[in-house]
Amino acid sequence: MRSTVSNGADFARTRVFKKMIRIYPREDVCIGCRLCEIHCIVQHSKSRNIIKAFKSERRPRKRVEVEEEGHVSFALQCRHCEEAPCVTACLSGAMSKDPKTGAVNNDPERCIGCWTCILVCPYGAIHRVEDGHVAGKCDLCPDREVPACVANCPNEALVMEEV
Amino acid sequence: MARDIRYAVIGNSAAGINACEAIRGLDKEGDIAVFSDEHYPAYSRPMISYLVAGKADAKKMLYRSRSFYKSHGIELRSGTRVAKVSAKRHSLTTQTGETLTWDNLLLATGSTPFIPPIPGLDDIDYLTFISWADAKRLSSLLRGNPRVLIVGAGLIGMKAAEALAEGLAQVTVVEKMDRILPLALDDEASRMVSDRFGKAGVKLTNGTSVTSLEAEGSGKTGDGKARAGRATLEDGSTIDFDLLIMAVGVRPRLELATSAGLETNRGILADDYLRTSHRDIFAAGDVAEAPDVVFGEPRVNALWPNAALQGKYAGLNMAGAETPCPGSTSMNSVEFLGLPVLSAGLVNPPDGGYEVISRRDNEGYYRKAVLRDNIIVGMITAGQVDRAGILTSLIQERANVRRFKSALLEESFSHIYFPKAVREGRIFEEKVGTDAARR
Ligand SMILES: Cc1cc2nc3c(=O)[nH]c(=O)nc-3n(C[C@H](O)[C@H](O)[C@H](O)COP(=O)(O)OP(=O)(O)OC[C@H]3O[C@@H](n4cnc5c(N)ncnc54)[C@H](O)[C@@H]3O)c2cc1C
Ligand code: SF4
Ligand code: SF4
Repeated sequence: MRSTVSNGADFARTRVFKKMIRIYPREDVCIGCRLCEIHCIVQHSKSRNIIKAFKSERRPRKRVEVEEEGHVSFALQCRHCEEAPCVTACLSGAMSKDPKTGAVNNDPERCIGCWTCILVCPYGAIHRVEDGHVAGKCDLCPDREVPACVANCPNEALVMEEV
Repeated sequence: MARDIRYAVIGNSAAGINACEAIRGLDKEGDIAVFSDEHYPAYSRPMISYLVAGKADAKKMLYRSRSFYKSHGIELRSGTRVAKVSAKRHSLTTQTGETLTWDNLLLATGSTPFIPPIPGLDDIDYLTFISWADAKRLSSLLRGNPRVLIVGAGLIGMKAAEALAEGLAQVTVVEKMDRILPLALDDEASRMVSDRFGKAGVKLTNGTSVTSLEAEGSGKTGDGKARAGRATLEDGSTIDFDLLIMAVGVRPRLELATSAGLETNRGILADDYLRTSHRDIFAAGDVAEAPDVVFGEPRVNALWPNAALQGKYAGLNMAGAETPCPGSTSMNSVEFLGLPVLSAGLVNPPDGGYEVISRRDNEGYYRKAVLRDNIIVGMITAGQVDRAGILTSLIQERANVRRFKSALLEESFSHIYFPKAVREGRIFEEKVGTDAARR
């Protein structure tokens, strides 16, 4: 029997919680406190300890970004697009979409830092990380039931939806 | 009568592989055969320079996992050149004389280096730089810090120069135009990249061309040609080299399309569905001349992301989806010697009718946007590039940017600058890029 997998999925990191989720911002209640950014950094740090992450370890780049202008603010991260332009464009095959969870992930071992994904991401959601050598982005926190940014927003300005 | 192959794909690279994946997404059963005259599983062609520089190994070169062909039920016929295609008989013939019939065919045959007729070139055992085999050969000839002359400062020539610049060779590049990367970049961005190359010890000779070549007697190779020689430029000056790399450009590899009697121009003409002039033959990637979003007419955009995108839609349509491709966009992402530079659309507008806005600061950030009647048609971003993709999507949408024009040049330009309705459409309904333009 033939088993089929979609785009390079055999390379992708799998979510422990194999649900399809999406995160949406609510700008009417975002207070621009940037706690989502801080907890994203902690979650992607070595120790996952806020003091260590900010004081002694190499600080990872945040994968969610609060945009602010006047009284409006909201937090945005990778949309994990249905037809993800970054996955199609990736030169090395490092960027792939998990067929089970729909999460779009970058494999840092395979990424060559060519920034073609940055060039095609309509949301500006990919960043140069690790001293600018590989691409990094929101991974939907594969080993958490609720992503760190959503869980730590004090005003429910980030909501998680199952799809 | 049943034919031998349901889906025949010629070319095992960006376009071919993405086509296979799209076909399998829709048709789990129909057999797929991929023909390639190279001897490797699909690899990332743009990474051959990383291979030479020692920044990627054989494993990292692979575009898909080792199990890809098996898990997708694909028969890979590597090392097999297809010599002829007959549209009328729905058949192809390999170089060994085997003839196979197919229901649907994809021509994803890519590019071949263009070699200009320079007097004396025939006496020289020069190199090209477009395949894994080329990279291997180059690497094998790099003993003793040789003097390498690269003819052509396009993407391929400069990638070769970068690979060699870091301690492998003494590099000189000759370019006919007055700047390096003349098509992908503008004067300013090109100058920024040139500075980096200069600091890395690469000698750039722009605005002149090689008028003749003279082989050096000693060091002849098997067929009586020499690797080393002397190049003479327009002004009579000369450059001695131990190795010569010809990188003036590539051309679509059209011979099969021609043999099949398909309509061709610069590339194989293909419509929105990547269908050629024959309804069961499709073309995608470097070989295809298909609709371009910005230029509004068919163009050859010989770049990896376009090859992958067109391959994907060709595959969908071969499997019967009848889905138009959003269209290709000329775009480049390069990082040379630590400087990232991204560009999309029309970056060097012809005189008249265009508005060009730009910004350059001392920290090495440069951004330029090209507008026509407030529609953004092109951009370049260098230095800080993280959000430049938003501009690419606006170019693909043919968006009117009048209301946030002043913010476009900010490094922080993002969704906060959009009118609320536009922002919400993008975030909640994925109305972005060509998808937004289509709706
Ligand atoms: C050094 C280098 C650096 C590059 N860097 C970049 C970059 O940074 N960004 C970017 O976007 N693009 C880059 N490119 C361009 C990019 O590699 C191409 O656009 C892309 O490979 C096109 O894919 P394709 O599938 O259309 O064709 P190709 O990758 O050219 O593959 C076509 C395949 O078909 C095979 N074939 C052809 N005819 C036959 C036949 N008759 N029988 C059997 N097999 C056949 C060929 O041997 C080849 O394997 C670079 C290219 C080179 C050479
Ligand atoms: S990185 Fe960008 S293009 Fe890729 S899935 Fe996320 S939002 Fe979409
Ligand atoms: S930077 Fe990495 S993930 Fe992005 S396109 Fe290049 S190889 Fe793929």
